[in-house]
Amino acid sequence: MNQNTTQFLTLVRREILRFVRRPYNTFLPPIITNALYFSVFGVILGSQIGQIAGRSYLQFVLPGLVVLGAISDSFENASFTIFHGRWNDYIQAVLTSPMSNRSMVAAYVSASALRGIVTSLLIIGVGLIFTSVSVPNPVYLVSFLLVITTLFGGLGVIGGLWSSDFDYLTVMNQFILRPLVFFGAVFYSLEELPEFWGSVSLLNPMVYMVNGVRYGMIGVTEIDPNTSLAVLTGTTVVVLSIDYVLFRRGYGLAE
Amino acid sequence: MTEPAIRASGLQKRYGDVQALDDLDLTVDQGEFFGLLGPNGAGKTTFINTLVGLVHKDRGTAEVFGFDVEDDYREARDRIGVAPQEFNVDRFFPIIEVLEHKAGYHGIGRAEARERAEDALKTVGIWDKRDTRFDWLSGGMKRRFVLARALVSDPDLLILDEPTAGVDVQLRHDLWEIINRMNDAGTTILLTTHYIEEAERLCDRVAIMDDGQKVEVAAPDDLMARGTDTIVLGLAEMPRTTPRLDVEGVTDVELTDEGLAVTAMGGSQTAPSIMRELEAQGHTVTSLDIRRASLEEVFVDMTRDDREYAEVSA
Repeated sequence: MNQNTTQFLTLVRREILRFVRRPYNTFLPPIITNALYFSVFGVILGSQIGQIAGRSYLQFVLPGLVVLGAISDSFENASFTIFHGRWNDYIQAVLTSPMSNRSMVAAYVSASALRGIVTSLLIIGVGLIFTSVSVPNPVYLVSFLLVITTLFGGLGVIGGLWSSDFDYLTVMNQFILRPLVFFGAVFYSLEELPEFWGSVSLLNPMVYMVNGVRYGMIGVTEIDPNTSLAVLTGTTVVVLSIDYVLFRRGYGLAE
Repeated sequence: MTEPAIRASGLQKRYGDVQALDDLDLTVDQGEFFGLLGPNGAGKTTFINTLVGLVHKDRGTAEVFGFDVEDDYREARDRIGVAPQEFNVDRFFPIIEVLEHKAGYHGIGRAEARERAEDALKTVGIWDKRDTRFDWLSGGMKRRFVLARALVSDPDLLILDEPTAGVDVQLRHDLWEIINRMNDAGTTILLTTHYIEEAERLCDRVAIMDDGQKVEVAAPDDLMARGTDTIVLGLAEMPRTTPRLDVEGVTDVELTDEGLAVTAMGGSQTAPSIMRELEAQGHTVTSLDIRRASLEEVFVDMTRDDREYAEVSA
């Protein structure tokens, strides 16, 4: 194994061990939260809502909840690990090593994307207790999950570098990400909105993610999944490039 | 030709109104034990952080073993082990894993990283604490651990920023022994310290820094030779007034309870002339004590703030 690979894998391993060894902080919360979502929205309220796009309400909201969990955790993982490392200065052990800036970014983003995917699988697992999905387009499902967790891992890196206090992390997760997801057609169909608000919703990038994953899981979408995937992939490349430039310039890392 | 371990030229770094590094030129040879002395804010830590990439210089160049610290940062950092003044250790993992990770960041495979981590912990004497997290170590153990982390990548250049700050005498001596062994084995050491005795005892050469500039670089003995020694002479009968001594090198003469205190450059060379002059004036010298200038006194003289000095004088 060459030196670059060893360096990259060491940081990825460190990041994975950090979240795997703390399941009560990392994996249990989305399991509990989503079990509650499915119970309340799916079983109790869902029976009164009926079908949307020919699917039960529970089947309809499941992909959105998967997206919510995936992006929250991949973003939170990257932003927390970088900010916490800066806050306590231990990120300097990485920064003063011969690792390339590209490897550092790749490691932080990969580990965060992996956490987002694990969270997705756990939410799907919980969802399957309450309902069933046929996954008619598994390639799209996997592709969308990979792209959106990588994208939000990359955004988390920016958030972690930008934050100068723990409050910043809360603000980004609770006041920016969650509202975007909740207004991202997780719990409703765009067709149910007045035309104006339906058009406004198309400005929300979460709509494309939720529809993409929904297409993969239950074969229903209101937006062309190929266009969504292309736009999201392009956005991911741009975000990762920004990550790299920030690391190279030492933004938030060097004086 | 062998590249120096460190070569800095015209290095500048400014933080707002503060010029942390002001056109700093400095060369440290391979295998040298080099000390950086200076008051707080002199720019020592800024200089170190420039070498390891935690500070981006505004101007000038800095090289480690011939590798530019920015253009060839990977090659430069691969040769450096740094033990910083402030603890900056990953609190999530037992200390042996922290060392394995550090070795891994240097491209060392897992099996060898484990071996190196164990060796480093044994070297600094805290192997039995290998499964403990950093927060649970005592203050002295934390210092030992930070040194172990600097050693785990087997660096060619070991940078120690105040490594013995706040540790007891025994631990200080233990750390000195480890560092000396590293230096004997060929590792270049760059040490910053507030303990002048430490620099006097360990370093081949020291640089005195102040206000981001290099004030002087020399061997500790050479620097001390430049300081003014105090020669205390016992006289058979103490005069009522201070005798006038017209001897080259004498800068001050004072009557004290201990005798006649003469401040002079190069005390050993000047003492015979002083004694002859005193005897020519009719005094009988009964004892002689030459107190050499300490590195600390030289350091204080060289880093004394002119403005502060002016205020005191006024």
